[in-house]
Amino acid sequence: MKTAAELKFGEKVKINDIDTSNPSHQRIIEFGFTPGQEIELVSKAAFDDPLAFSVRGSLIAMRKKEAGCIIVS
Amino acid sequence: MKGTVAKSIPLITLVGPPNSGKTTLFNLLSGKNYRTVNYPGSTVEYSTSNFSAKYNLNAEILDSPGIISLIPNSPDEKVSVDSLFFHPRLGSPDIVICTIDASQLSRHLLLVLQLIESHFKLIVVLTMNDILSKKKLEVSAEKLSSYLDCDVIKVDGRSGNGIPNVIDAVNKNLNELNENSKVKPKPYTAESGKQGLIDFYNRIETITDEVLSDVPGNGKIDLAKANKQLKIISTPYVGKKNSPDELTLKIDRILLHKFWGILIFVLIMGITFSSIFWLADPVMGLVDSAFSYLAQFTIYILGHNWLSNLLADGLISGLGSVMVFVPQIVILFLILGILEDTGYLARGAMLIDKPLSKIGLNGRSFVPMLSGFACAIPAMLAARTIPNRRERLLTIFVIPLMSCSARLPVYALLIAYLTPSDKPWIGGFLLASIYIFSIITSVTVAAIINKFRKKLIKAEDNSSFILELPTYKIPKPITLFRNTYSSTKQYIFRAGPVILVFSLVIWFLTFFPNVSPQIDTHNKTEDEIVQMERSERLETSYAADLGKGIQPFMTPIGMDWRIGVALISAFVAREVFVSSLALIFKVTDKSNDIQSSLLSSMNKAEIQNSGKKLFTTSTIVGLIVFFVFALQCLSTVAVSRKETGSWRIPALQLVIFTSLAYLMTFITVNGLRFLGVN
Repeated sequence: MKTAAELKFGEKVKINDIDTSNPSHQRIIEFGFTPGQEIELVSKAAFDDPLAFSVRGSLIAMRKKEAGCIIVS
Repeated sequence: MKGTVAKSIPLITLVGPPNSGKTTLFNLLSGKNYRTVNYPGSTVEYSTSNFSAKYNLNAEILDSPGIISLIPNSPDEKVSVDSLFFHPRLGSPDIVICTIDASQLSRHLLLVLQLIESHFKLIVVLTMNDILSKKKLEVSAEKLSSYLDCDVIKVDGRSGNGIPNVIDAVNKNLNELNENSKVKPKPYTAESGKQGLIDFYNRIETITDEVLSDVPGNGKIDLAKANKQLKIISTPYVGKKNSPDELTLKIDRILLHKFWGILIFVLIMGITFSSIFWLADPVMGLVDSAFSYLAQFTIYILGHNWLSNLLADGLISGLGSVMVFVPQIVILFLILGILEDTGYLARGAMLIDKPLSKIGLNGRSFVPMLSGFACAIPAMLAARTIPNRRERLLTIFVIPLMSCSARLPVYALLIAYLTPSDKPWIGGFLLASIYIFSIITSVTVAAIINKFRKKLIKAEDNSSFILELPTYKIPKPITLFRNTYSSTKQYIFRAGPVILVFSLVIWFLTFFPNVSPQIDTHNKTEDEIVQMERSERLETSYAADLGKGIQPFMTPIGMDWRIGVALISAFVAREVFVSSLALIFKVTDKSNDIQSSLLSSMNKAEIQNSGKKLFTTSTIVGLIVFFVFALQCLSTVAVSRKETGSWRIPALQLVIFTSLAYLMTFITVNGLRFLGVN
């Protein structure tokens, strides 16, 4: 099972599911990360954390830990 | 009284996700009686206004903080959501106008759907249509309107196109309200869980598929253009709809680069702080000269008596010591505003999240801490945007250690004392060192407090950092100036009265009871007589009596009661230190300005009955160290109490920072003396 936290720079994938065991999952869905959406890893801060994703035409930064609840195909 | 706030005119509330052009719309609609209590980092607190007179519309308009959903996720968002339903002063809105970014339609429609579910009378304003048309797409406002069953209007924030249509829609909706009785919004209770939100998004996708369409070609035969369009048509429609701004991605490749990103970040922060000093310096000189001229002029007109003394030394010098660093505050707020409006602050927060999380803070602590360099009060308010309670309390805890602008006049004076007049660069170097030292100090203290957080902070919950990185934009000067103006005004009106009152109190304590001391006037010039009278009056004053009690604390750090009185008065507000020193040591003499005459009398000051100089390198450095640590600001304590909900944290801050200040000053002064620096 691959998550958004493991994406490489510039890698485009589709979201499969959101893991509800992560306390931030609701906010992540509110930001538009829903199953079926295509996301791309666009930037990584120093130390590879946080990560920035493109989703629905916006850029959203989040910690690696949080990106871990976005399950991708 | 619940639900029945007296209201004579209709209330129209603006809501919208952050960066959806909400404040721009507010500026376009609002009239002359614009009021705001806002702070850097967001539009938290409220701006209210009437409609601009040209629209001939009698209604109150309220700009609320940006939210992405009606399910709050931070204290900041909870306030916004609660007061959207029922504002404590203004009641429930008659109409809600929701701004949404057309280029981020699918994300921003979530809030719109939630507002409709809550039965608000809604008008949707579509902004940033130009960004969408760059992607060769457009939204059909008519179709969207029929899907949502409310008015949808396109507005261009730069030109103001579409504003008349907004006014028409407001009038139309207000008339409808008059005919039907007002429906009260019901608190948002729809399923907030995963499936509920996903269902919302499924509905949104059906809507966006219908309302978004390609911009039709204009029929001209232009081969290059036609090819380009062909290419675009050949790319899948979904990909086009969901691609972020190209330029923003390119800029981010540099500004969020692992190496260059950090370098540019450090550079931007460096330029920010150095420009506060370089740009403000000439203006500050002007303000200082103006006030000292006014003080001398007063004495010249009224002669030497208690009234002229009260006006010149108590009132004018006190006022001058506040006004002199207004230029620096203006510049700091202006730069913060530019960084915010271009979209860079969010990137700064992302870059610094990892290091800050190591000491128990959050990337979102960045903006509050940065604002702390201007003033701790707006900084503590800005900390409301941090969703995690522990991180928010810890951020509030360390904010008083940020070198706020009230310390500047103190440092400026002390540094001027140490800087040889032929080597002015030493002053800049010393000031930079103080800033770096205070940053290191606050990081260290945050790390230590974080270690003891179970005992000190008493809050623990899930730490998170999710932040939208807005599209880069060129800031709008009008918004920038409005915000800078209101922040500066707030600052002056908060600090001003306190300083004035304390200047008068200190003046009273140093002037009475021995108003006309008996001295030997034989063979003395008039100036010398005034001088001697002053020092005699001071030594027999109430302040001196008070000072005897402080002397035992001041001797170990190489100072005397006169500095003690100034330090105690500085607990009201740090900048009072300078005006108090001015009153205690200075004579309004014929030299150029307040500072240089104060410096020369500081140079002459001796520790009583010892003949030793009072202000030496070691005591000056000791004083600087004291100001780096000490929490000397009543307003900060009050705001800390309000923002943390109890006296625990402000009391801890006061005790820890003040004893740390005394201890570090003791170590510094005696350490320097041990090393042979007097």
